[in-house]
Amino acid sequence: MNRTGRTAAAFAAAACLALAACSGPASMEPPSIDVPTPLPDGINFSPDASPADTDVSCDPLSSYSPGAVTAEQARALLENPEQISIGISQSTNLMGYRDPETNDLAGFDIDIAEAMVQAVMGDATKVRWVPMNSAEREQALADGRVDMVVRTMSINCERWENVEFSTEYYHAGQRLLVAKDSGITGLAEMTADQQVCTGASSTSVGNIAAVNPEVQPVTVPDFNDCLVLLQQGTVDGVAIDDTILAGMAVQDPTLQVVGDAFSEEHYGIAFQKGDTDLARFVNGALADMIADGRWQASYDAWLAGPLATGPAALTTQYRD
Amino acid sequence: MAVQSPPAPTQAPPAAGPPAPGAAPGRWTDRVAAALRQTPGQLRGVLVVLAVLILGAGVTGMTSILAKSAVIEETTSQSGRLSVAALQLYQALSQADATAASSYLTAGTPSEEMNETYRTALRDATVALATAAGEVKTAEDVELVAQLNARLPVYTGLVETARTFNRLGEPVGATYQEQASTLMRQEMLPSAHTLQENALAQLTESRDGAAAFPWAAAALVIAALGTLVWAQLWLTRKTNRTFNLGLVGATVLLVVFAGWLAMASLASAGHTNRSHEEGSGPLELLAQAEIAAQQARAEESLLLIARGEDDDAATRYAEHIEELTADGGLFDQLDAAFADDAGLGAKVDAARDAATAWSNGHGEVVKLAQEGNYTEAVALAVGDDEASLQTSFNGLNAALTEATETSADRFVDATLDAQRTLSGAAAGLAALSLAALICAAVGIQVRVAEYYA
Repeated sequence: MNRTGRTAAAFAAAACLALAACSGPASMEPPSIDVPTPLPDGINFSPDASPADTDVSCDPLSSYSPGAVTAEQARALLENPEQISIGISQSTNLMGYRDPETNDLAGFDIDIAEAMVQAVMGDATKVRWVPMNSAEREQALADGRVDMVVRTMSINCERWENVEFSTEYYHAGQRLLVAKDSGITGLAEMTADQQVCTGASSTSVGNIAAVNPEVQPVTVPDFNDCLVLLQQGTVDGVAIDDTILAGMAVQDPTLQVVGDAFSEEHYGIAFQKGDTDLARFVNGALADMIADGRWQASYDAWLAGPLATGPAALTTQYRD
Repeated sequence: MAVQSPPAPTQAPPAAGPPAPGAAPGRWTDRVAAALRQTPGQLRGVLVVLAVLILGAGVTGMTSILAKSAVIEETTSQSGRLSVAALQLYQALSQADATAASSYLTAGTPSEEMNETYRTALRDATVALATAAGEVKTAEDVELVAQLNARLPVYTGLVETARTFNRLGEPVGATYQEQASTLMRQEMLPSAHTLQENALAQLTESRDGAAAFPWAAAALVIAALGTLVWAQLWLTRKTNRTFNLGLVGATVLLVVFAGWLAMASLASAGHTNRSHEEGSGPLELLAQAEIAAQQARAEESLLLIARGEDDDAATRYAEHIEELTADGGLFDQLDAAFADDAGLGAKVDAARDAATAWSNGHGEVVKLAQEGNYTEAVALAVGDDEASLQTSFNGLNAALTEATETSADRFVDATLDAQRTLSGAAAGLAALSLAALICAAVGIQVRVAEYYA
């Protein structure tokens, strides 16, 4: 083979190698896709904030004085005098929830409700529990589906239009839940690049903005998602009512509730409009429960540990 | 039949020499034109035209048949495999979600059967994903597969976190389970669905290709036959002899060729349509029904997991059941598809009965849950009891699975029939056209030779 022939052969070999390198499976660009971050349905990263309205149209915390109403008179107002129907939550940890192991109802609200059943019916078993979400509460009373509602329900003037309230049975407020090692000790010191999760009501966003206008609020329709977001590191804190936070803190030893309450919520038991005698009787039973230490025992059992503070003082006020 | 004998001299005097003598040496077109004025040249010209037409018909006929087999091969393999994988993926993901949600309700201790179903569904999903990854051909599909691949481990992570918290008795497990289902419902199932639709679109495209009649080959065969007949008439006029054995042979061979081509094409189109109507069409419907049932089951469990806080789950449950049982819904469509098949019809009826029992029971579960009898509601929904919804749901699933198996067998049978019809056709057509070409060449060459004898 002469020189030219050799060069040609070398060329051909090189060309073959080059072709072989180029061929092979169709060269499709590797796709670029987002890092999957699980987010709950309806999460809002730029929620509207409106300041909490200071309710002055009425004196919401004043209920009916117990007077001399008997259990019998109270029972006469029930839809079924043999069985009281109580609207509760079965998804609010430590307040009203199903124990995942036993599927039984338990919690602070349930303790209060059970004490009321015992007082009104004289028998703790004569009760029908009606689980409901917070949006259903007033309608369920108006429809006569339940006789009363013990479900983290805040007393306010607007609701007084549709239902009767007992005196305050728990004084709640928005606080902050953070990771223990985050070093955050209160909402005020959170920075502009930190995110704080809360429920989808504009008032709770407003309360956060009033304390710390810098921090970024994030809202979710179901506040339980806030805990998951905090555990997944998507948000840096959760700012909801302390009762809810307690229920979250107790599920995760790496989290703690910090800072003082920066809003005020007064929980009351709600009754059908006009059932004032039932309200009076229950107010009496509530006062007894607070006086004889059962209330404190229930607080200690459910909330004292995770909240790491004593209870905020209750306001017991009667309008007549 | 008259046999070749020396031709009577015709009006055209025999040419003196092989290269057309009258032609002045010059441009080749002039030489060809000159040659065509002489009979041998004319004969050669006819032979060239015949050769082009016969070879053309042979090649196009053969390639169209080969293309058809390739398409049939494809419907059972390539995009066929992709659409099957996409469908299996969609089914497996729905089943994984339904099982994960149901087993969450069993308070931390899912039955061995449920665990097994969940693990099997995940295995099916990953195998289907791997198969799909090897079959995808468009950038969009590649992205869909990658998205599903990226999300599946996130999904399983959420499910396992939910299970762990549930075992520990922490209610946040429910939120993890809901988040897992949200990821599945909002991102993964839609991706799987799009992948499946893309695969089906590709399949339909190739199926239309397979069912198309090979018009080009048919036109060429007719042209070749026409030319052959004309050539024989022309030769008869020129030579006073009725038959040219070579050309007659070529004609017969081409007629057989045309018949075989038409038969194979029509039969394979028929088989392809049959495999679509009796096989893949009902298969898709059955898969849709299964998916709707799985999704409804997942929503039913979510409804209970959310403990009354998720009204959307109730709406979505109702939508999936509606999809199945509404007028003109999936069951009605399946009944129509299996109208003349009692066996499959009976299975659809069984599925419909199970679905009815299930949706009646669902009302009871919702009622129990609303009345606060949560434990009874859960027991009715996921218990092992004969009357539990788990039983009706399993019955529904079993009926749909059996119908799917029968339908899948039909699909494979029809595809095999189609392939059998085509097998040999390509080689046969090629051989026939070659034989026809040789006959024609011999027939004409014999005549041409006579001029130089």
